[in-house]
Amino acid sequence: MADTPKNIFLKGLWKDNPIFRQVLGICSSLAVTNLLANTLFMAVGVIFVTALSNLTVSILRNHIPNRIRMIVQVMIIASYVMIVDIVIKAVNPDIHRYIGPYVGLIITNCIIMGRAEAFASQNRPWHSFLDGLAMGLGYAFVLIAIALIREPLGFGTLLGYDLPAREIWWHQWTIMVMPPGAFFMLAIITWISRRLQITAEEEQE
Amino acid sequence: MRKDSPLYIFMFIILISIFFGVAISAVHFLTLPMLKKNESLHKNRIITQAFMLEVEKDTPEAYQTVIDEKIRRDTVRVGNEQMEILTNKDTKEVGFVFDGMGFWEPISGVIVLDDDLENIVNLKILEQKETPGLGARIEEKWFTNQFKDLNVKWQAAKDKKIIIGSTASTDKSNVVDAITGATQTSMALMRMLNEDLAKFQKYREEI
Repeated sequence: MADTPKNIFLKGLWKDNPIFRQVLGICSSLAVTNLLANTLFMAVGVIFVTALSNLTVSILRNHIPNRIRMIVQVMIIASYVMIVDIVIKAVNPDIHRYIGPYVGLIITNCIIMGRAEAFASQNRPWHSFLDGLAMGLGYAFVLIAIALIREPLGFGTLLGYDLPAREIWWHQWTIMVMPPGAFFMLAIITWISRRLQITAEEEQE
Repeated sequence: MRKDSPLYIFMFIILISIFFGVAISAVHFLTLPMLKKNESLHKNRIITQAFMLEVEKDTPEAYQTVIDEKIRRDTVRVGNEQMEILTNKDTKEVGFVFDGMGFWEPISGVIVLDDDLENIVNLKILEQKETPGLGARIEEKWFTNQFKDLNVKWQAAKDKKIIIGSTASTDKSNVVDAITGATQTSMALMRMLNEDLAKFQKYREEI
């Protein structure tokens, strides 16, 4: 498949999805998905950092000395992460108090470093930006899917609002609030997505 | 100039550091008023929770009004250090802001004592950046609620006015459970609380 902008985008979202295909960024996908609001802030942060760090690395790719390219990539990523951290702290300090430690850890998110090194350092800025955006969106899409199941089952709420079922029959699934709940959901979503991918590939053949 | 020459590498690192340093400083500068406002709101919220005061709305103005009406805030000098003393104008409960180094970064909070300074009324954590799921649990209710009605042993040694964790003593009236898997954070909290209680004791003796 030729790397047209559309293909780059589809790869990040589905075919090479960073979570269920490349199995990257798992740590934060387990940590911040018990509440949808936390997940949305984390997702926006990762999309912002992935897209802009890819763009910056690509613009500078012909000027970055090869020997220090990894150091420069980390510096670029860390700078964008610090900007995200400051902005979340200013806009929503309550959410920052909870996801703050994980925002700092975006620097070590393998998706971002992996795409900067594997794609942005060898491709044009526009394609690199799209790749970063799509990888970030692919990450966000899986995280949101996990949070959409964990928050209602774990807390009986969605975006902090009580669901109608909470008053009638709902009983808290404590495991969904805890990290093991995320492991189960991640495994189920990976299983379903991979099954769909394999079925699609078989139909194509 | 060759891209792999030491001079090029040096210049490149300097330029990119300046560029991103300026960008981060600019974002920080632009968001500074919001950060200060949030900080003030959070502190007021924690103080009202520590003194168990009712606030009608979750707005900065509502918290400020309650604080202004109910709490007297004094900044005093004890030795070479400053202390923020908080007094409930109605109940005469006295609190202060404690702080110290945690396992990773500084921890601060508000502790409130009853009017005769015998027991702790409440304790709330203001800021902490301990390990999520372990040390960070110091701000969870099950942990902070243990401090309610806890007796302060003013005459005990400087580091044993309150105890977090195990003790050989049979008197458990000043003892709370530590957090499993977060011994260092528990110890750090105990250390800073005892130090600041001793400082508060000194202040009370001076006046």
